[in-house]
Amino acid sequence: MPPSRTLADRLEAVRSRPVAPARAGADGPDRLDRLARWFDARTDVVEGGRVLVVERWVAVPAGTAEALTGRAAAAYFDTETTGLSTGAGTVIFLAGTARLEGDRIHARQYLLSDFPHEPPLLRAIAADLASSERIVTYNGRTFDLPMLAARLTFHGLFAEQASLPDAHDDLLPDARRLFRRPLGGARLADVEAGILGVRRTSDCPGSEVPTRYFGFLAGGSPDILAEVLDHNLQDIVSLALLEAQLCRLRSGGWREARVLDPRGMALDLLRLGAVDDALELVESAQATTDDPAEANALRRVAARLLIALGHVDRAEALWQLGTRRASVDAAAAWIEVARIRERHRGDIAGAMEATAAASRVLDIAFALGRGGSMSEVGRTRIAVERRLRRLRRWVAAAERRAERARRTAARTPRRAVA
Amino acid sequence: MLTAPLGAADDAIDALLGDPAIARLVTAHRQLEPRPPRHAPWPHDIDPRVVDALKRRGIDALYTHQAATYASVAAGRNAVVVTPTASGKTLCYNLPVLDGIAGDETARALYLFPTKALAADQLVELRALAGAAEIGLKTHTYDGDTPANIRSVVRAAGQVVITNPDMLHAAILPHHTKWFKLFENLRYVVIDELHTYRGLFGSHVANVIRRLRRICNHYGSDPIFICASATIANPRELAEAVLEAPVDLIDDNGAPAGRKHILIVNPPVANQELGIRGSALLTGQHLAERLIGGGVQTIAFARSRTAVEVLTSYLRETFEPPPGHPHTIRGYRGGYLPNERHEIEAGLRDGRVRGVVATNALELGIDIGGLDAAISIGYPGTIASTWQQMGRSGRRAGTSLAALVCSSAPIDQFLAAHPEYLFDASPEHGLVNPDNLHVLLNHLRASTFELPVPAGERFGIAETPTLLDVLQEDGWIRRADDDRYYWSHENFPASDFSLRSGAPENVVIIDTTGDRHRVLGEVDLFAAPLLVHEKAIYIHQGIQHHVDRLDWEERKAYVTRTDVDYYTDADLGITLKVLEVLEEADPPPAGLRQRGEVMVAWKVTMFKKLKYHTHENVGWGSISIPEQEMHTTATWLVPPAELVNRYDRDTLDGALIGLARVARTTASLLLMCDPRDLGVLAQVQAPFTGRPTLYLYDATPGGVGLTERLFGLTDDLVRTSRQAVESCPCADGCPACVGPAIEVGARGKATVVELLAGMS
Repeated sequence: MPPSRTLADRLEAVRSRPVAPARAGADGPDRLDRLARWFDARTDVVEGGRVLVVERWVAVPAGTAEALTGRAAAAYFDTETTGLSTGAGTVIFLAGTARLEGDRIHARQYLLSDFPHEPPLLRAIAADLASSERIVTYNGRTFDLPMLAARLTFHGLFAEQASLPDAHDDLLPDARRLFRRPLGGARLADVEAGILGVRRTSDCPGSEVPTRYFGFLAGGSPDILAEVLDHNLQDIVSLALLEAQLCRLRSGGWREARVLDPRGMALDLLRLGAVDDALELVESAQATTDDPAEANALRRVAARLLIALGHVDRAEALWQLGTRRASVDAAAAWIEVARIRERHRGDIAGAMEATAAASRVLDIAFALGRGGSMSEVGRTRIAVERRLRRLRRWVAAAERRAERARRTAARTPRRAVA
Repeated sequence: MLTAPLGAADDAIDALLGDPAIARLVTAHRQLEPRPPRHAPWPHDIDPRVVDALKRRGIDALYTHQAATYASVAAGRNAVVVTPTASGKTLCYNLPVLDGIAGDETARALYLFPTKALAADQLVELRALAGAAEIGLKTHTYDGDTPANIRSVVRAAGQVVITNPDMLHAAILPHHTKWFKLFENLRYVVIDELHTYRGLFGSHVANVIRRLRRICNHYGSDPIFICASATIANPRELAEAVLEAPVDLIDDNGAPAGRKHILIVNPPVANQELGIRGSALLTGQHLAERLIGGGVQTIAFARSRTAVEVLTSYLRETFEPPPGHPHTIRGYRGGYLPNERHEIEAGLRDGRVRGVVATNALELGIDIGGLDAAISIGYPGTIASTWQQMGRSGRRAGTSLAALVCSSAPIDQFLAAHPEYLFDASPEHGLVNPDNLHVLLNHLRASTFELPVPAGERFGIAETPTLLDVLQEDGWIRRADDDRYYWSHENFPASDFSLRSGAPENVVIIDTTGDRHRVLGEVDLFAAPLLVHEKAIYIHQGIQHHVDRLDWEERKAYVTRTDVDYYTDADLGITLKVLEVLEEADPPPAGLRQRGEVMVAWKVTMFKKLKYHTHENVGWGSISIPEQEMHTTATWLVPPAELVNRYDRDTLDGALIGLARVARTTASLLLMCDPRDLGVLAQVQAPFTGRPTLYLYDATPGGVGLTERLFGLTDDLVRTSRQAVESCPCADGCPACVGPAIEVGARGKATVVELLAGMS
């Protein structure tokens, strides 16, 4: 190193960001008490230190608890972290749990006053969760729970980790299946606005959350965390409402639902084993939709369901409904009929007939200019021709086999029947 | 069918050495005598299953260096093994690791290789050994190619995790909580190819090791490090610099070797006046043809990817297989896809492949065994890599040959004239500067993300507290009440920087010839402007492709197959701006000498089309690719004003080109570094000094300390350069000293001598 420059000079030269935020606040150990006063919070003493717990009760619409009858009591859980990466430097600074108690939700929010107090915070969160049979989250499978596990591992809190309930329901995949297409998104905020009827008045965008916490640590007022606490509270309350709504939908509520993806709901019902409900849903949705592509997609789901149930006739009839008007879609429906006849009935001749019908319909559709784009007609045409060729080969091969069998039989001297 | 009869290779090598036409070109010939093996007894405490497995694989006794490594590790000491290629180096570390795991299945090991290809080969090797010993070893590679479903298994249960420093830096250390089983039980860390961890890359890796140690410490483990290195001058020093701990040096090679001939070959003089010699490539081609034709399995190393492809196509023309048979000559370089490389390696092992043309020895897998002959076309840049290339030939029994064919580059010609430099002088030093502040600060950030840093802790340097304060002021970290610094930023610091000076992204080459587009290979971002600019002829496996479009933003080059009689060669233009003077010779002895921080920018502006075989220029074109920049350190020299005023501008122009050329050669010798690690630029009227200036800069961003050292050696630089030019027998400049007169001017050589005399 050159003697002519001090380290400070050299550091100046390598500095990448010349912004210098306020130094750490001088409030030191009082920070926790200050936060407690500000948020009217409780401080619990746990192993390793004190933890700040904000307790709140929120009224929920009547019927929420009824909807959830039969489900194991759950802790609705959500975390706020100092970053989105799940690496070892990202910390949970706020975790909320919510439980349904009659027509109210009892929420506990655990707030970290500063990084050194993380172990007692984690112990308190784990003890809280351990008192429930089940955890319910939104995207907890990939984020909140691995994050919690990482923090517990970091501090060697393995017993606490083992005490967490095994049952975990992540509502994100369900919400995606049922609402993403009609809502155009499946963030919790989308579901709140479109399904739960929740209006957030003052909210802090998720992307701002870490910045606010760092701002607070750097000496900012606890007030900038108020909206973060509200945000977290709303998240866990919405989780309970969402689970209640999902239960309602599954127990027949889908019949009245305004916003719902019928295909997603059908799959959901199927997963629960409610095959008849799924079929009813698909058939009714198919009757009401005016989008031919959607109708086809629904028909496909329904036909698959019917075949699974052994109702091959009904599946075929369903596709036949779609063949009435000469169009490319009708040709596609004829192909489906052909497929069912070939695969599920072993009726090659019938399949040939249906394919020929597809070809005919396609010609008419093309002549009437109903074909849609040229490439669409072309693609269907190719599919029809391919199937026809294959079927013809099949038939020819079958005929050859039959012929050979006949000849062999003719040549073999007839044996005496015992 | 393709394997030559036993002894044929020996005869062909003898015939080649006896040919007077070849002998005329040989400027040096050394013979390494056959060496018998030296064995050591099995360590008495070793697991018998491991011994049985080795015996079943034909290893009846350990070589001395293998036993010595085992002993060091058993005694709890770090070790660095330095023995040639194919001396059983891998077993040096696999033996203690496997034995350790056989004795305690909770023990874990981490293997670091510089490339994914080497890691993949090691996986195969280790699994075979563990399988033979019937030890249920759970091991897998963990890198960009590892499927997502396997990753979680490796994290939780991998007993030996094979990865690279980049992956350790960006994916493993920052997520150490997912790897706590590894870190809790980490007993061994293996670092192979240690010599590649020098310069900037090595400085980064040393910091990654600092971070690794902090995490091991957190989880209560204290692993032993086992390193392996190719021959360098200071393996122990390099290992101790990277590990920052004492290391045992093991360099007593007990492996046997057959007779080996080492040649330095200088192509014949083609043009007496210009001092130009014949092409090294053509001479290398001739040697390769003679050897391969005589049944000698041969590998040829060329310096550039283009040269690899050109030579591959030449040799394929010569050894055209009968129709329907696969080629016996293969190209092999970084841009090829993994399965293509594995196929070539397998072909080398079973003899189907008779000749290989490669860019460098490291890209080769470890498991190809010894070949009969290795030809290096052009000095590969360092003594260590020369020996590594030459080490690719060599057999336990029978004769082998290694040859360096000199190009007309100054350093090559220096070696042709002074072969003792190759044979006797010590090879390069591996230099690292883990305390390079650019490097260290980035790793300190990453390390704080991984674990809070107590205020008194030292991360490499004593000034750690000052650095922590700087990071706090900049808002990255924050000191809490417990006097520890915590990461306090939402960014993920390890993704902000890469360990390699080369850009992290590669340009993907897409062949659009057929119906379906297909990925042909990749080139790194630095080389892309030179190789896949628009209208370039990109050669892959001997097949020419025309680059139709280069999408720089998307990092994609679209090519179609073509068949033309030329190849392309792009020109690199460099500019330099001084940012700050850090040091100045005071008082200036002769002219001005300064050292400081500079911004170097480079841009590829045009390319030439060169005809095959004659290499004549048949056209050119311009290239528009954005300029690339680098912040680094430089040392610069300005000759005294009264001296330069004597010359007209043209004379000075030519002389400066010559001065730059000779200074780079001598500087790289003085610093014992690869000439490519050092950039050089001569400006006849430099904007910063306003006078003719010769800049020598560190070719890695931030620098690795080369120019600091050079600044202290400027007297030697001037004196040695002057000697080199004066002692050259040419009349007025040749490629071996200042360059041919056609480039440096008729008075070029004389002017360079006068300038150097005036500067001393």
